Order: sequence, then C-alpha cells, then structure tokens
Amino acid sequence: MAKDLILAQSLLEAEGTGARNRTGFSGLGLKKVFPLFPLTIFISVFFFWPIGAVFINAFKNNDGSFTWANYQLLFQEPYNKAFYNSVKLGLISALTGAIPGTLVAIAIAQNGSVRLRKFIASISGVLANTGGVPLAFMFLAAFGPEGLATLAFKAIGLDLYGLGFTLFSFWGLVIIYSYFQIPIMVIVFMPALDSLRKEWRDAAYNLGASNTQYWLRVGIPLLTPSFVASFLLLFASGFSAFATARAMTVGNISLVPLIIGTLLDGNVTVNQFNLGYALAMGMIVVALLAMIPYLLIQARTSKWQR
Amino acid sequence: MAALKNRSLTQSISGLLLLLIGVLIALPLVGAAEFSLRDGGRDKHSFKSYAWIFQQEDFITNAVTTIEIAVVAVLVTFILMVPTVAWLHIYGKKYIKFVEVLTVLPLIIPVVALATGAALALPAWLQSTKYVLSMMYVVLAMPFTFRALDIGMRGVQLEILVSAGRNLGAPWRAVILKVITPVILPSIFAALFLTVALSLGEFTLAQLLHWTTFPTWVAVAAQGNILGATALSVGSLLTAWVLLFSFTFFDRKKTNHQEEE
Repeated sequence: MAKDLILAQSLLEAEGTGARNRTGFSGLGLKKVFPLFPLTIFISVFFFWPIGAVFINAFKNNDGSFTWANYQLLFQEPYNKAFYNSVKLGLISALTGAIPGTLVAIAIAQNGSVRLRKFIASISGVLANTGGVPLAFMFLAAFGPEGLATLAFKAIGLDLYGLGFTLFSFWGLVIIYSYFQIPIMVIVFMPALDSLRKEWRDAAYNLGASNTQYWLRVGIPLLTPSFVASFLLLFASGFSAFATARAMTVGNISLVPLIIGTLLDGNVTVNQFNLGYALAMGMIVVALLAMIPYLLIQARTSKWQR
Repeated sequence: MAALKNRSLTQSISGLLLLLIGVLIALPLVGAAEFSLRDGGRDKHSFKSYAWIFQQEDFITNAVTTIEIAVVAVLVTFILMVPTVAWLHIYGKKYIKFVEVLTVLPLIIPVVALATGAALALPAWLQSTKYVLSMMYVVLAMPFTFRALDIGMRGVQLEILVSAGRNLGAPWRAVILKVITPVILPSIFAALFLTVALSLGEFTLAQLLHWTTFPTWVAVAAQGNILGATALSVGSLLTAWVLLFSFTFFDRKKTNHQEEE
C-alpha cells in the first residue's frame, strides 16, 4: 500500500515538473528525488564507506598517524612482483578469453538460428558464473595425472605431463580462467555483433562493396570499441579473481589478491593490516585504469546499439 | 549462387568451431564427473564419494546458511531495486544516468578490495551476523540487477503504459498489479536470478569476512578427501547450473510472447 502512496505522490509531483523543471536540488527538488534515497544510502553504507575506509587507513601507520610508507612498499619486492604477476595474468587470460569468445559470438551470429543463440546465451550465462573453488577442483580432477582429460589427450598422442604441463602454474591458471573468460566474452560481445544492422551491410553492398571491404571499412571499425571494452572487462575479472587462484596456487605464484587474503586472514602479525589496505588501493587503481575506459566506451557504443 | 555457397561454407566452419569449443567446455566437466565416480581405481566406479558428501555433518548446515543468505539478498534486492527503477522510468528519467553510474561502481572495484574495506569499516554488530554477506551481495549484484531491470522497463515504456492505464480510469492499485507488475515480471525474475546465482557461489567476501558458507566449506572439506572434494565440486556446479538454466528457461517462456514481433 505504501508503494501506491509513493507512486501517487510522485505522480502529483510529476504533473508539476514541466513548470519547475529547472528547480534542480533546491528545497522542492530534494523532495522530488526522495525515492532515490534508499538506494543511495544503501550504496553509501555498503560500498562507499568500506572503500573510503580502505583509502584513509592505507595512509596510516600502526600508531594511526599519517604515512606514505604503505604505498612505498607496493613498489618494492615482493609486492611489485605480485602486481606484475596479477596484471600479466589479467592481460593474458583476457586475451585467451577474448579471441575464442569473439569467434564463438561470430559463429552464432553467422548461424543465425534463434534457438541455438538462446541456448548458447543461457550456457554462457551459467558458465560465466562458474568460478571459485569448485572450478579449480574440476580441472584438478580432469587434468590430473590420472584424469580423463589427460588420458584423452594421451590417446590422441599428446602426453601433457611428458611436456612438463602442470595446472599449478601461471599457465595452468590461464587455462582454468578461460573457462569463465570465454563465456563472459560471448555475453558482452554478442550485443555489439547483433547491433550491426542488416541495413548497413545492404547499403555497403548496394554501393558496390565486397564482403571483405564491408568488414574492413564498416564491420571491424564499428566492432573495435566493443572488442576493446570487452577485453578490458575480462582483464579486470582475471586481474582480481581470488577464489580459483587461492585454490590453485599453494603459495607458488604471488598474486596481489592472495597476498591481501593472507594479510587479512590474520595469519600474520597485526602490523601488516595497513599494508593490506595499501595493496587493496593499488588493486582499485589498476582496476579503475581498465574499467573507466570500459564504461566510457560502453556508454558511447550503447548509443547506436539501442 | 557463389554467395549462397559461400554462406553454407562459413556456416559449416562456424558449426565446427562451436562443436570444438563445446568439446573443450565439456571435457573438464566430464573428466571431473568420471573422476568423482572412481572407487579405488581407474576402472571401478561407484557413488561412494557422493555418499561421503551426505555423511559430512557440516554439509546441510552450510548449505542452509548459504540459502538463507541468498534469500535475504534476493528480498533486499527486490525491495530496494524494483521500486527505485520503476520510479526512475516513470518519473525520474533524468536521474537514470546518475543511478546507472552509481550502480555500476561495484563492478569496477575488485571484490577483494571491497571485502577488505567491509571488514575494516562495517560496525561489529553488523559483521557479527551472516546477513552482512547478503547486503554485500546485493551491492555486488547491483550492476547486473539494475541493468536487467532498466532494460526490461525501457523495453515496455512504463511511463506510457501507466498514463494509459490511469487515463482509462484504472485505480493505482490496478495499474500496479495489472499493468506494471505483469510487464516487468520477466526483468524482475532476471534480476533476482542473478542475485541468487551470485549468492550461492560467492567465495571471496565470505572468506575474508570469516564466515563459513557452502563455498568456503567446500575448500576446507577438500583437504581431507580429494575424491570427495571432486564429487562435491561436480555436485555443486551441476546443481547451480541446473538451477540457473531452469531459471533462464522459465524466463524465456515468460518473454516469448514479447519477442514474436
């Protein structure tokens, strides 16, 4: 019932908006945006406040006074190495996700069957949400020395372990990450492919363009921003993945999320907490560098994708 | 003719590619499923490891914990997001951009960093209840839930429907129950389903805020029994997939009549 009331109230207010559209955030305006308060407050408490606290505490030493020392540590061994590893993992797993993902998306677009498309969209949605510890164990079982996948590769003449393969390595992580990176790519890149309008292709052909010319001059230039944006999103997801990495690396690859996890787990002395906050800020900065261009590109391309 | 031939060629290439990717996706899953059924050797299979799961005392406890957290996250998402986005589409169009930016922020910040902040900043009374995770999951799911609701409502032009209903003399009650709710139901389901999916599998926040949920328990239980851990992983992945897949199927059925243009 309260909802009826709010809606009814806002209708009354909306009827007047034409005249006082420019009142903005003056007294009347604030009342007008009242329905936005619950969401804004919720995000402030459970998002801005924690992030703000990390930001402030990263500048504190153990006595609580101001210091740059925590941030300076980020540029020294072993933390700089951890950042290097994490960024490398993000970039490479983004690449191994983006390229097959693009091919799958194109393949679906070419095949064009609505049923297949929906099926793959559902599967991708499910797989993109597959992460964490179960994913790691799944790969361990299938690609272990006695696993079915290993035996299958052996049967076609590929002795993985003879080639020095191990899942407990950087490249092992890359392989496992591709299990969710490829589906994410399909999901985020598919709309861009879909929005290449048939009319544009027809227009190009009618003006005498060949298939190659259409793709070089129209298709690829239109899709490039979306591809870059999707790549950045995959980078961010690979860069900050925690659960799978935690299950797969027994301290043999140093990654920033894992270091933060250990610092916070309380396995170390208390005086390292502030270092953890600085590391978290470092992650945020790296993620921002990827995600801000991602969002800007998305906002731009969504104009013609609608 | 040439174009036609060309088309069937690209079709078979893309079909082949899909098949290859399909096999690569299926391989680890099938391999793990087979491994989890092993009983002492490569050739002997049984459900022993699955029986082991149900003998674990903590299995039910942790599954229930995770479901409770997910239910609260879904409820909060529903109460918080649906009225807000509906209001935006009916009266607050000029604020949509602002809310869009606001809700996408959780996507930008790595979960590990957010968890660090939550452990640091949120008051003790809040952190002493497991439902703090529900609240965090609502935030984590927000980029997706907002987008799902926004797209759903954008497609149906809520504003026009509402004024049409009102002009035809429908009382508010009827407008909400018989106009708004049915048309945005698919997007509501999509949003809630995303929240459920996220809540059931989330590991990072649960681990860093020191709660034992189903996913964090799986990681611990694995240390004793590798076959059992594999069974547990395959089981929980399959359960999650069946759940998610049936949701999308249900959702698709609901939206079918809208797409037949």
